[in-house]
Amino acid sequence: MTETTTISAVKPPTGGIITQFRHRRRRNGRRSALRVHPALYLFPLPAVALLVAFMAVPLLESLQYAITNWDGYSATFDYVGLNNFVRAFTGDTLFLNALTNNVLYMLVVVIVQTILSLLLSLLLVKNSRGGIFLRALFFFPTILSSVSVAFIWRFMYEPNFGLLNGFLGAIGLHQFQSAFLGDDQQALYWVALVQVWAHAGQMMVVFIAGLQAIPQELYEAAELDGAGRWRRFTSITWPMLAPATTIVVAYVTIQSFKAFDLLLGIGGNPPKNSLDILSTRIYTTFVNSHFGYAAAESVIFMVLILIVTVLQRRILRLTQKQE
Amino acid sequence: MSNEFSRRQMLGMFGLAGAGALLTACAGPGTTARPTASAGTSAFSGKATGNVSFAHWRAEDKPAFDELIKKFTAAHPDITMTQDITPSADWTANGLQKLRGSAVGDAFATLRGSQFEQVVKAGVYADLTGTKAAANYQNPEAGTKNGKVLGLPLQVVFNQPVINLDAFDKANADKAPADWDSLLNTCDKLKTAGFVPIAWPGGDAGNLGQLFNSMILNHAPAEDMCAQIEQGKLKVTDSWFIDMLKQYQQLAPFFQDKSTGTLQDGARVMFAQGTAAMMATGSFDILTVRKQGAKFPIDMLFPKTVAKGKKSKYDGVYNQTFIMGVNSASKTQPAAYAWLEFMSQPENAGYYANNTAQHVGVKGVKYTDKDLSDLEPWLSKNNALAPRFQFLNLDVRKAVEGTTVAVVGGTSPEKAAEDAQKIVDQNRQS
Repeated sequence: MTETTTISAVKPPTGGIITQFRHRRRRNGRRSALRVHPALYLFPLPAVALLVAFMAVPLLESLQYAITNWDGYSATFDYVGLNNFVRAFTGDTLFLNALTNNVLYMLVVVIVQTILSLLLSLLLVKNSRGGIFLRALFFFPTILSSVSVAFIWRFMYEPNFGLLNGFLGAIGLHQFQSAFLGDDQQALYWVALVQVWAHAGQMMVVFIAGLQAIPQELYEAAELDGAGRWRRFTSITWPMLAPATTIVVAYVTIQSFKAFDLLLGIGGNPPKNSLDILSTRIYTTFVNSHFGYAAAESVIFMVLILIVTVLQRRILRLTQKQE
Repeated sequence: MSNEFSRRQMLGMFGLAGAGALLTACAGPGTTARPTASAGTSAFSGKATGNVSFAHWRAEDKPAFDELIKKFTAAHPDITMTQDITPSADWTANGLQKLRGSAVGDAFATLRGSQFEQVVKAGVYADLTGTKAAANYQNPEAGTKNGKVLGLPLQVVFNQPVINLDAFDKANADKAPADWDSLLNTCDKLKTAGFVPIAWPGGDAGNLGQLFNSMILNHAPAEDMCAQIEQGKLKVTDSWFIDMLKQYQQLAPFFQDKSTGTLQDGARVMFAQGTAAMMATGSFDILTVRKQGAKFPIDMLFPKTVAKGKKSKYDGVYNQTFIMGVNSASKTQPAAYAWLEFMSQPENAGYYANNTAQHVGVKGVKYTDKDLSDLEPWLSKNNALAPRFQFLNLDVRKAVEGTTVAVVGGTSPEKAAEDAQKIVDQNRQS
């Protein structure tokens, strides 16, 4: 198969050449003159070695740890079968709380960040000086480290000296002052807002790229047909932005599952229950020296991300088919 | 013979490598090399040479240690020394793994509580019982396990409210209330005088429980109450614990507004600026508030939760931490021990204390820093070791300490305790 592909890449094959090649291949068996030099198989070796060392081995190890009660340092341990997995779903309210928080966090971030970045992109799609400056401004938080972002916002949300309550007080809106992260009913939403602030600019760029790829002729034709702004948006912009939207939604979804450093930076270690998501829960379990159980939580986490990714890819494929 | 590999050979090699990786992966947890068992004093008797890695988490103490290391290496020319500093959160999470590898941390320090216990369990601490270094310490209780001195707790801190004496004078408030009602009266006077009586960092996971240290001591039926809660022998739904939560309810109006969201930094600023008369963290924050411009005289106040006329069992609460030890897997144990012995000398421990504004556990140290010398009398009071560090499980600690935040936030003590007990039970069964 490799040989055929090589020829195809060089020259569009005719039926005659392919037939000749296949005959010759059958005659010479594996010793075909056109075969790839075996040494070429060595080229991917470094990448494969890295993949095996840093991905495959830890993955296999975590699968093995997940069925043990290893504490992380003892020489002995017991195999506990699927007990760790059963415990995660039936006997651990902290894990289920983290799972619920994570789903809620994901929904808020995905919806708000996607809408906000779409709005920003629509407003800043033109390559004017002001537009370019504002794009850079909105993109800026993306280049900050999550830990810096977490600490900046920790101080913003500080109820007594924080900028937000200070501002609300200064303009006389004392009734809207809040304990922010100190209020368990609101805390997760305030952190979600930080995530949106930090990454909306990044997603805006993806949308702008999508918007700039839409042919202007479509808008001109629609305008001639008497289509208004809203109609042009719903009939041209939105459908044509579908691939970009799918990328944004997929990226933001995974990002919200992995918002470990932001949550830990803002919520402290361990974060309180209202700010505990799956990644921080796994970390706390590791710190508690329950390596076996933490590995099981990691496996569940990995499967969840896998499911979400597969779903996103399917949606992407469906969208592409529609085009 | 051809030098080329055939595809079959290549696949075979990949397969072999994959099988090797699989076997490596399945070698099993816990089968990596472990340090040898505790070394004992004889291991320190060899010649002190080589490079010593000193692993800890206190980046703020680096300049003081740099000076001390200069002096140490000048006295021991065959020893070189490096500081391996890991940020506090990382050190808590990964310190044990680093020490077990013994690539860093010939000499090292751990935090009192779960980290110390884990390091002991993993056999990383060499036995220091009977050494000259151990003898130089006042009472290395926090570094002692089953009668063996494994670590030497260099730092001594007080985990009880620090107070602004000027504010107390202005409000004519009692600086050492003998019982609970007197404390509430003190808070009332401070509030009337325009101060926030207590700045409490209820939104700071690491420090919201410092006040809990003082509050629980005189209620609990046992000295190791937190360990017993974790083990299920005591419950947070017990009446003594509920009584403590009810006192938190009474204190809530004396905390700053929106205290459940206040960070340690926020509490420090309120105290440093003179807005708050008390700061419910500990003596370890004094250096920072001084740097923030606090000029007023500072003392401490131990909240006595007892009823009028009853005698308080304890007069203060403190913690021994920065528990220094020698790695049992170190190849330079005599040199690492020499460093511990050097740090156990009053002159060197004193240099550390006065340059980091921390009291130390070494005997005969002279405190030249004004705050340290002002607070020195507290060292000889009837103090208890801070109980919150008896918790070995972070989830249990969070749940138990979280009851205080819930109560201050408006939840009833009974409901808060019930919710926390569920988490405690769940963790005990795991």
